Amino acid sequence: MKRFLSLLLACMMLLSLATGCGGGSDQQTPDDTDAPQTDGTDGTGDTGDTGDTGEAWTPEKTINIYMTHGAGGDTDYMGRQLATALEKILGVSVVVTNVTGSNGATCMQQYKDGETDGYTLIATNTAALNGNEATGMVDFGYDAFEPVAVYGIQSGENIVVPADAPYDDLQSLLDASNANPGQIRYGISTGGGVYIQACVLTNLGGAQFNIIDAGDGAARLTALLGGEVDATSLPYSTAADYIENGQLKSLCTCLSKAPDLLPDQKAASETIPELQIDTEYVVLAPKGTPANIVEALNAAILEATSTDEWKTMVNDYCLQNPFVLNVEETIDNLKNQRELFMSFVPFL
Amino acid sequence: MILEGLMQVLQPMTVVLVAIGVAVGIIFGSIPGLTATMAIVMFLPVTYSMTASEGISMLMALYIGGISGGLISAILLNIPGTPSSVATCFDGKPLADKGEAGKALGTGVVFSFLGTIIGIGLLVILAPVLCDFALKFQAYEYCALALFSLSMVIALTGHDMPKGLISAVLGALLATVGLAPIDSRPRFTFNMYQLNNGFALVVLLIGLFAISEVMAYAESVRQKQDFTIRSNVKIKGVGFTFKEFIGQIRNAAVSAIIGVGIGILPGIGGGVSCMISYTVSKNTSKRRELYGTGIMDGVVASETANNGTIGGAMIPLLSLGIPGDAATAMLLGGLQVHNVAPGPLIYEKNGVVVYAIFFAMVLSAIFMMLFMLLGMRFFISVLKVPKNYLLPVVVVLCAIGAIGNANALFDTYCMVGFGLMSYLMIKAKIPTVPMILGFILGPTFEQNLRRVSQLASSDSFIGHPIFCVLIVATIFVVIFSVRANLKDAKRAQERELAELSQAAGGGDE
Amino acid sequence: MKNKQYRLDIIPGIVLALFSIGYLAMIPQIQTFDGMGATPLTNHFIPTLWGSVLLLLSLWIVVRGLRKRKKFLEEGGKVEKTSFRDALMEKREVAASFLSLTIYVALMGVVGFAPMTVLYVFVQILILTPREKWKKNIVPALVTAVITGCVLFYIFRYMLNVLLPIGILSVFGL
Repeated sequence: MKRFLSLLLACMMLLSLATGCGGGSDQQTPDDTDAPQTDGTDGTGDTGDTGDTGEAWTPEKTINIYMTHGAGGDTDYMGRQLATALEKILGVSVVVTNVTGSNGATCMQQYKDGETDGYTLIATNTAALNGNEATGMVDFGYDAFEPVAVYGIQSGENIVVPADAPYDDLQSLLDASNANPGQIRYGISTGGGVYIQACVLTNLGGAQFNIIDAGDGAARLTALLGGEVDATSLPYSTAADYIENGQLKSLCTCLSKAPDLLPDQKAASETIPELQIDTEYVVLAPKGTPANIVEALNAAILEATSTDEWKTMVNDYCLQNPFVLNVEETIDNLKNQRELFMSFVPFL
Repeated sequence: MILEGLMQVLQPMTVVLVAIGVAVGIIFGSIPGLTATMAIVMFLPVTYSMTASEGISMLMALYIGGISGGLISAILLNIPGTPSSVATCFDGKPLADKGEAGKALGTGVVFSFLGTIIGIGLLVILAPVLCDFALKFQAYEYCALALFSLSMVIALTGHDMPKGLISAVLGALLATVGLAPIDSRPRFTFNMYQLNNGFALVVLLIGLFAISEVMAYAESVRQKQDFTIRSNVKIKGVGFTFKEFIGQIRNAAVSAIIGVGIGILPGIGGGVSCMISYTVSKNTSKRRELYGTGIMDGVVASETANNGTIGGAMIPLLSLGIPGDAATAMLLGGLQVHNVAPGPLIYEKNGVVVYAIFFAMVLSAIFMMLFMLLGMRFFISVLKVPKNYLLPVVVVLCAIGAIGNANALFDTYCMVGFGLMSYLMIKAKIPTVPMILGFILGPTFEQNLRRVSQLASSDSFIGHPIFCVLIVATIFVVIFSVRANLKDAKRAQERELAELSQAAGGGDE
Repeated sequence: MKNKQYRLDIIPGIVLALFSIGYLAMIPQIQTFDGMGATPLTNHFIPTLWGSVLLLLSLWIVVRGLRKRKKFLEEGGKVEKTSFRDALMEKREVAASFLSLTIYVALMGVVGFAPMTVLYVFVQILILTPREKWKKNIVPALVTAVITGCVLFYIFRYMLNVLLPIGILSVFGL
């Protein structure tokens, strides 16, 4: 609510400024409004005990999290939920700022060599981090950062077809495509996770689709409903309603295993073992951030996500149980996914 | 369920939030450089902690307020506050120059309200039918629609056709910078990652309209001028008579339908709808030649259409879960956060929220009209602020808008670059407005043309009646507007020649 | 002054033609995509189309301008010349505005939003004020500049979280 009031106040001041500033005689002076929000900034500007190993690090001023994806998306929402939870644990403001574009590459490029004092963090998802490297959009990977923590997993993408289509699982779709090579139109968005997935279907699953670019999730939904494509991959959250009312059916999830709250779904990896596109939410720090700071932030994230409140939120929003890793597990996890993605490079 | 939705909106807290949202939206909309989308981006995280209907109501209020607020600066400063009010400048500013700023604002406000209400009406009544229509729009249809809209440029340019076309093509050229659609390969980025995202529409808009306005004023500094400009603007009621209102009904109805129609189709948006509506209105009017000199009709066409687009954009958003532009994409996120999943089941699963959205939209429209009519006197007082003080502050706000767009300083450099480009274009008598159309529609055209090239082998255009109709319509528009333009050009040329021979005869001046 | 009409066709036409040639020349450098789902029309097609159309249109206005010039000269008009320096002096406020704006955005990252805004607004107000009125306007201009710089910085940086550069203000621990 404080945040909200300060926003409101800001807008009122804006109005007065925008319309009446010209004369410039008896204007408000800037210091007669105290923003309640920035009270965490009273640090003296020294950046704490950088570098000393073993010493516990505690933040003293506002932490900035740069968000690679836009407001309204799942990555942004999860990042903001984490920021709110972290504020309670760390006792300082945690401000999330969106720096968007190119599937997160813009932000990562800009902040990978950012300040290493622990007050600059990057929040993104692993499919973007590893996918951008695999598709050649950027020439750096997770090792250009100090990974802090993986703190959640998405409800995933599902391969979907119209409900009256004659196939019921991924294998029958693949078989059908081989029976009529080039006849089944498969909608993708070139360059993203869906593209990687289509490449795997073709090269490792032997599918013979007519691959058609149909744009982002919403556009692929339109194309599938409008009959421009015969099959595509959609985020579960986008497709859920259509599956429920019987317009579409899901053949499998592309996650390595079905979401915790939807355990009955088949996984694509049962048919094609390599087909595992896990989108996990991850916090990164710029390269060179001292290990004790990374550990302290990881501990704070582990603590912040151990509440019931967090569990309810994740259950509702991601259809998953909380999934939070410590620093070593996070690095291992990123390394494994990168290896998997890089193994696709020859046919991307 | 309907009543329950109404009750939720009429909660005191929700009403307050809607009022605040509308006010904030109007402020963001009216300041050049800050847009409705930006207002929603900034407030979206705040709504996460509210209830579903509170949050959504507030976002709707921001959206409606933001789109409507753009007309204020368009009319008073000749700088469109949002992309949706570009066409409002054409007649709004000349009206204000004639000392009828009150009439221009009143017209804009009332018809914005009507446009919003018509949009909501169609949303409530015809959503399922219109959704089927929206689903028929695939690559072929979009391709034809982009061509059709681009052909409007010819109608928009008037007598100097080649220069109008140059402007539009330049816009389309600028839009090719960045990652290419479909395959995401960088084009014309000179290895600068900042250019990967391409140029932002709002930054282009700032350069074309705000910076050029400053330069136009700078040119006139040494000329004799009065610093207090027209402080004697009279406002009576809403600024226009009932008779005038009746005379605009047909124009408003057509414009609203164009606005809603474009709103339904994802990816086009208010910036195009206001210009197309203006062009259509101009070319079907009996007073064709008066457009651009400051008549109500132009303001009515632009403002009814851009607000109609709001209702239109909500149709695929709610019924299909498909957002049409950046603002509705954010609304989608705002709904999903509250576990309201837009899509075919939204009425069954979250009927109350849907009706709450409808009522919140109506309430927002009412508040918008109320605030803007009450605030009119206050807005007009902007005209009393000496421009040499006002314009530098506007530039600073624009710079903030450019930075805030992607939280990057790089966009301010683009802003200066576009400002310079716009100044040179104006000096060369190349119109700047067609550039906006080219910039928005170029990528739509490219993306869908390339998809069509992919589809053509398996799916010929014969199976796409809408495509065929649009192509035929495009051909007609081109022929008719070229003929009209040639007539205009002939007249202009005769005039020019007369002046030329006079000048030549008189030697150097 | 009317004899300048044809120049408004010729000069922009030549500039645009050169620009479009440069643009077209860069197209072959664009990396095409031939992986899965590649479209028969590559990412070269549309830039080639727009570039060529622009080239044709600019040649059109060049030709148009040359015709007008011929007609003008036939009818006994004389080509008047204005030196670049005179033209610049004529537009000195515009040139100064662009210069100050460029300096403003160029130094904003290093010096910071607030100080540069104060400086820019002050200078820009004076540029837009006739010289003889400068004396009367210096104080109000300064007040407006300081208020604009401080208030907008505070609102947008700390309340609305826009990443305006802090610059030299960072020594105060902001």
